[in-house]
Amino acid sequence: MPRIQKIALVVDDSKMQCKLLSVLLKEEDYQVIIANDGASGVQMYIEHQPDLVLMDINMPIMDGFEATRRIKKLSGEGTLAPLIFITSMDSEQAFIDSVDAGGDSILVRPFTPKVFKAKIKAMQRISDLVDQVKGLQLEQQNDAELAEKMMSGVIEARNFALDKIGTIKKAATIFSGDIQLTALCPNGDIHVLLGDFTGHGLRASIGAIPVTDTFRAMTKKGFSILDIVAQLNRQMFTLLPGDLFFAACFACISEHEKSAYIFNAGLPDGYLFDVQGTIKQQFVSTHPPLGILPQLLADAQVEVVQVKPNDRLVFITDGIVEARNPAGDLFDFHRFEQAAIAGIIQKDLVNNVLSSLDDFCENCEQEDDISLVDVPCSGWQQIKVSNKVTIPEGFTEEDNYFALADNSLPTWSYHLHLTGGLLKKVNPIPLVMNQINDLEGAGEHWQSLYTILTELFINALDHGVLGLNSSLKNSAEGFSQYFKERAHRLDLLANEDNKVSEDFVGIALKYFPLAHGGKMVINIKDSGQGFDILDVFKDNSIAMNDGLKLSGRGVELVNQLCDTLDYQEQGTLVTASYIWHD
Amino acid sequence: MTVSSRISGDGKELVIAIDDRFDFSLHQLFRDAYSSITTQDLSYVLDLSKTEYMDSSALGMILLLKDHVQLYAGQLTISKPSDTVRKILEIAQFQRLMTIE
Repeated sequence: MPRIQKIALVVDDSKMQCKLLSVLLKEEDYQVIIANDGASGVQMYIEHQPDLVLMDINMPIMDGFEATRRIKKLSGEGTLAPLIFITSMDSEQAFIDSVDAGGDSILVRPFTPKVFKAKIKAMQRISDLVDQVKGLQLEQQNDAELAEKMMSGVIEARNFALDKIGTIKKAATIFSGDIQLTALCPNGDIHVLLGDFTGHGLRASIGAIPVTDTFRAMTKKGFSILDIVAQLNRQMFTLLPGDLFFAACFACISEHEKSAYIFNAGLPDGYLFDVQGTIKQQFVSTHPPLGILPQLLADAQVEVVQVKPNDRLVFITDGIVEARNPAGDLFDFHRFEQAAIAGIIQKDLVNNVLSSLDDFCENCEQEDDISLVDVPCSGWQQIKVSNKVTIPEGFTEEDNYFALADNSLPTWSYHLHLTGGLLKKVNPIPLVMNQINDLEGAGEHWQSLYTILTELFINALDHGVLGLNSSLKNSAEGFSQYFKERAHRLDLLANEDNKVSEDFVGIALKYFPLAHGGKMVINIKDSGQGFDILDVFKDNSIAMNDGLKLSGRGVELVNQLCDTLDYQEQGTLVTASYIWHD
Repeated sequence: MTVSSRISGDGKELVIAIDDRFDFSLHQLFRDAYSSITTQDLSYVLDLSKTEYMDSSALGMILLLKDHVQLYAGQLTISKPSDTVRKILEIAQFQRLMTIE
């Protein structure tokens, strides 16, 4: 708070001088306090915190230079009580020495009262400016702190399974331009995002809230990682000015598929480590950061990898590899990798990388936000799988009878028939789930239905329409070959644009309410050649026993979730029914 | 000067060269190097052969330059980036957006 009357401290061993200056200062409305040597001047400064100091140079006990040095040390940075040397030493050296000691100005005797008052006014003006800047700084800091609190409330606090994911987040300023998000998909997969807005501070964070909202909402509705990336890109393109963009790494980790889908747009390589800390794979950036182009590039694709339960996915922002030590060297990739590997062996990647980074930088000022996520490839919430439907209390024979009666009619049904190129462009599952939510309301039991629909649709598309052989996925090389071939065949489908395509997948739902729940009958028909369903199930039961096989898990999982599951018409039509109880 | 620019003798090429560090502190200088130039069909060459370091705000500044170049139907080429700078351009996949030689 500004004081009503400003205080001026006069430090001079001449009583005469003190009196003279006092009169002039009082005319300018200052309250005046006086010290007759440097040492008591410092003492008075501490006691009264004056707004202005007038300092003689030659004084007993402590001279003006020393007193000034002490006072300036006490007043610290950011506060300015202007200090003017008053002297009759009209030499260049006196001028230089007084500035070196910390004096803000010098006034050489003799001077007229008018010149003295003008000088004081000028100094006061500068000190008012400093106060103003200080006030603004404080205001900005308060705003940033408030915004930061709000952001971490909105963003970090609502991330999924925070306890399982290791994170580093060190902002260069209060406000980080880096963002870390995790969210749970309806089928139990997990979505992870590590992103870096251009620059740092408040300016870099304007996109954080829309990114968070879109990422969470779309994940919850069952959209794939690539759908989400495309939407975020469109959103950032409209939202961000030309020189701001959003570099980000995305992952979808599917525990039951034992695979991960990765998309890196503009961040340093992401890593897949095994339990010994060996780098199994690196994920290079394959796309410009989001928000630069109005649409994703036509060849934008997720990378699919096989993962083992003990593998870890690690994403970093450039702040880590570009951190510098006092000599100006970069921390760089090899130091990061060494620290990460040692960290995995010691089962604490985050702290190992952090301490290695701290040792390297030796308290050098941090130039950019530093961010890392360390995500395990298993241990997520398991989707509830039971082999048989349990009949809860209050569930009567009548319910059962009603559900299974031949003449019972569904209260509603829903059909979706996708052909040709639409099969590449449209992900029908969120559309279907939206319909269900709109008609029957949201509910936990839809999670299993989501999984059933996804698995059956993917099977119809991959093995039916695209004619891919799932045995390809048995080896690690085949696994990536499978996804390459899949993308290739989807492109061929998409190019069928102009003619009416014979390729299709049809999805039909019928909903039957029960007294204490409901039943959904799902039909999925595809245009493919069909397959021998018995072989697949036989294969699967062997595979489940040796635990090694990668393909066909989908059908097994669906079989466990469904009440009934039947393949007909040589495997081109599948009928599943799913019953749940309130 | 850390940002220098000159137009070639035949008036068909503008070369902008950046020394040492290309970061936010050059924002104004960099813009001044091209913003008043409205010649159509001009070739713009961003010479990064002497640039040792570049941060993400520099990438943003290059995108603004690209917008300017497109507005006047010109061509933008990034010339001879050092290995460190090339790595940064590659991570951002800028070769998909403009020519890097």
